[in-house]
Amino acid sequence: MSLIKDLTKGIYRENPVFKLVLGMCPFLAVTTSVENALGMGAAATFVLICSNFLVSLFRNIIPSKVRIPCYIVIIATFVTLVDMVMNAYLPDLHKSLGIFIPLIVVNCIILGRAEGYANRHPVLNSIADAVGMGIGFTLAMVILASFRELLGNGTWLNINVLGTAYQNQPLLIAILAPGAFILLCFILGFFNILEKRKGGRQ
Amino acid sequence: MAQTRRFELAMSPHVGSDQTTRKIMYDVVIALLPALAAATWFFGPRALLIVFISAAAAVLSEYLCLKFMKRPVSFALDGSAIVTGMLLAYNLPPGVPFWLPVIGTAFAIVVGKQAFGGLGHNIVNPALLGRAFLMASFPILMTAGWTAPEAWRSSTDDLWKTNGIALEELNSIPDADAISGATPLNILKQSFDLDSSAENAIREGDTAEAESLEGKAACIRSALSDDSTYMNLLIGRRGGCLGETSVILLLVGGIYLFLRGVLELRLPISYLGTVAVFAWVFGGSGWFNGDPIFHVLAGGVVLGGIFMVSDMVTTPVTPRGRIIFGIGAGLITMVIRRWGGYPEGCSYSILLMNLVTPLIDKYTLPKEFGEVKENG
Repeated sequence: MSLIKDLTKGIYRENPVFKLVLGMCPFLAVTTSVENALGMGAAATFVLICSNFLVSLFRNIIPSKVRIPCYIVIIATFVTLVDMVMNAYLPDLHKSLGIFIPLIVVNCIILGRAEGYANRHPVLNSIADAVGMGIGFTLAMVILASFRELLGNGTWLNINVLGTAYQNQPLLIAILAPGAFILLCFILGFFNILEKRKGGRQ
Repeated sequence: MAQTRRFELAMSPHVGSDQTTRKIMYDVVIALLPALAAATWFFGPRALLIVFISAAAAVLSEYLCLKFMKRPVSFALDGSAIVTGMLLAYNLPPGVPFWLPVIGTAFAIVVGKQAFGGLGHNIVNPALLGRAFLMASFPILMTAGWTAPEAWRSSTDDLWKTNGIALEELNSIPDADAISGATPLNILKQSFDLDSSAENAIREGDTAEAESLEGKAACIRSALSDDSTYMNLLIGRRGGCLGETSVILLLVGGIYLFLRGVLELRLPISYLGTVAVFAWVFGGSGWFNGDPIFHVLAGGVVLGGIFMVSDMVTTPVTPRGRIIFGIGAGLITMVIRRWGGYPEGCSYSILLMNLVTPLIDKYTLPKEFGEVKENG
């Protein structure tokens, strides 16, 4: 039962982006297209699951004084793996994500889950937590990327949705940096309203 | 926070005033009307329509926002939304499609104003934010929609070909076809481009080429400083944004605001003064030979100086702070004009200074009566 709870809490109740406001850097930077968001989400989820697994496994061995460097070494190992595999098999995606692949090392969602959850919970729960958080992160990025790609380019996952007439004069700011911040504010505001409504009913 | 504290009366004496937000805002609307007449005269009924659509869209967005946030919807008609809509339209090229001002004002009101808490709480001038938003989103429409003055009612032959520049002088320049630009500031920018090409030519040792380029740049500058150019800039017969062209009618509006006690002169004077001094010192090819008159008349600094630099919400409240604000905005405007990528820097300069307004206010707070220096 608690396994399922661990799995689902990351998707909405403790969504890393919308509720914990973590991982803003990749969230704002790579969400220019849904394709990038999915790629980034998959990469981060993979690293998250592996690192949570290892951190949880070694939680009684790692001395607490040097735990952060240990986590970083574990995370960096898997990030290097992802970097190399993606470079070999998905070179286009690797190119468009660029520096943000190596920067997964310092993604605060991953370190946050290692420090805040995996180092004091059993292996299975930690994996469930990582899967949930990974899905939550990917979902959040896809939501923002959908808005940005639709408004800024007229497409969704490279499929032309709004027509060529719109594509000639798109709302260009949506795929520029300011658009990411503005849309993020609207999405966070929307979730705050939802929360308020829920609170009011109780 | 404002809601949790009850309204408290300060100790007497109190100053009574019958000024209200509504009165001030409608005074600003009245002051904007002469420039609207000029816009209609030079750019046709289309300009009038754009301003009307923009103001209507602003009021509608304000109404919908207030409705959504469950606030008194009567605020939508306090005039501030109309001012925002009109000012945004004044900052658009006359040839833009009609949907552009609607998107711009909706963004200005919803994100620039209501998202921050409505009138009095916005950090930056909503109209300028709307313009910056449109510039980032639709750069082509925002820089290509220039129309020649009076083109809508004169035959195509004797059009004012471009922009209010004394044409005979421009035509006397060898291969003048290469020199074109919709607004006076665009043409000025080209003279700076010619200057830098001339410098490159000197570096490459091609003195003949450098001399001809420098000659062209000087020709352009003398055409810009011509009396008939000044006259056209003054009355507004030139290419440019809708409401910025007619300096003299903008001044009429400014004088009206001053007489009504709405316009505080420190801001516009320090702003325009800085622009003029900077133009004189750095505006020419060398030092101290720029043309301050041209720089003050061209572009949108008069519109900005009277109606946007002096916006009550987003500028400092202290007298010293206002002077600092005007000087800062003037410096940024001229740096963008002289060395920046855009021909005009008025709107960005005001937006940037809006952001540091709280800081200016903090450091220019006057000493309270009876206050003693700490550890003094």
